[in-house]
Amino acid sequence: MPGKHLLTAKGVPWVGASLLLLLAVGALYLFTGAAASEPSRTPPPGADDISFGPADAPLSVIEYSDFQCPFCAQYASWLGTLREKYGDQVQFIYRFYPLAKHQYAAIAAKAAYAASLQGKFWEMHDLLFENQKEWSESADPRPFFNAYAESLGLDLDKFHADADAQSTADFIAKQAAAGKQGGVSHTPWFVVGDSVVLPRSLEELDKLIQEAL
Amino acid sequence: MTRAAPAGPRRWVPWLLAGAAYAGFVVSLYLTFVHYRGYVSPCYVVHGCEEVQTSEYSVILGVPLALLGTVFFALMFYLSIGLLTSSRLLVLRIYKVLAFVGALAIIPLFLLQAVVLKAFCTYCVATEALMLVLWVVSFLLAAPGQSGPGREKAEAGGG
Repeated sequence: MPGKHLLTAKGVPWVGASLLLLLAVGALYLFTGAAASEPSRTPPPGADDISFGPADAPLSVIEYSDFQCPFCAQYASWLGTLREKYGDQVQFIYRFYPLAKHQYAAIAAKAAYAASLQGKFWEMHDLLFENQKEWSESADPRPFFNAYAESLGLDLDKFHADADAQSTADFIAKQAAAGKQGGVSHTPWFVVGDSVVLPRSLEELDKLIQEAL
Repeated sequence: MTRAAPAGPRRWVPWLLAGAAYAGFVVSLYLTFVHYRGYVSPCYVVHGCEEVQTSEYSVILGVPLALLGTVFFALMFYLSIGLLTSSRLLVLRIYKVLAFVGALAIIPLFLLQAVVLKAFCTYCVATEALMLVLWVVSFLLAAPGQSGPGREKAEAGGG
């Protein structure tokens, strides 16, 4: 048995094996605990961006997101907290990045963009993420989107016309294409200031913003 | 020039098993850390990991499958060291039984991804492939006529 020989030559392989396992534990503990950061290659904030907070804020937080991505929904609740906390110091920007693998991501993006044309983007954004499970698992998400639009007091005729407009599809496609060109490989994809970051908790994202301010 | 004499037949087998078990340990441990740290992983453009990792099947009776995998591969790693250093037939037998259990476990794990979730997680598939490697390669440990590690000493021990 290994314990019997630990301090002899026979014990060397067992000690070595245990050290190898401990090395992996330590390395992965550190690796999974560190937030990655790299320079951003996506476009800087622009006039056509959908944003929350002052346009001349000292810091911008850009998020490439997909309304049907379950992780984006988790981050959305964190961002809601941070929009309240830093709404006067940080410009929060939402950019569309609907993933092809998510069946209703594109139509949800269109609904959100149509809501933005009536000044209700963030309200629709929150409703889409809060209720993601119900519409994403339905056979047809449009009745849900209509109900959200109605609850926000949107002009439904305009909402439908805007959601179906070619210009809406073009806007979303343009943002997604620019994101893809800038290296976006997953959602959510965050750019805090000039750096791409992958915060893995509300606290981590909060800390990154504080450090950048 | 003379050629160096080759090492004993299939002496590389326990080393290969140890390497595969260590790789499986690292991948499973990574998934375990991700699970327990409560991190939110991103949705990758390529279909897969998030669907599997967040499914109800990623935890059995409160224990994450990733943790079970970590324990399994750590055990197989130690047993591989045992095969390299020990002459006991018992070690070989335990190894083969566990390798077989691991191979059996692949079936429901793979079917869950292919049929139920319709999504494959690269990390999960990698660990399943490594479990298969452990089982398949374990046959070489007791191939007839070979004097690989464990075999000759096991025979000497009356096994």
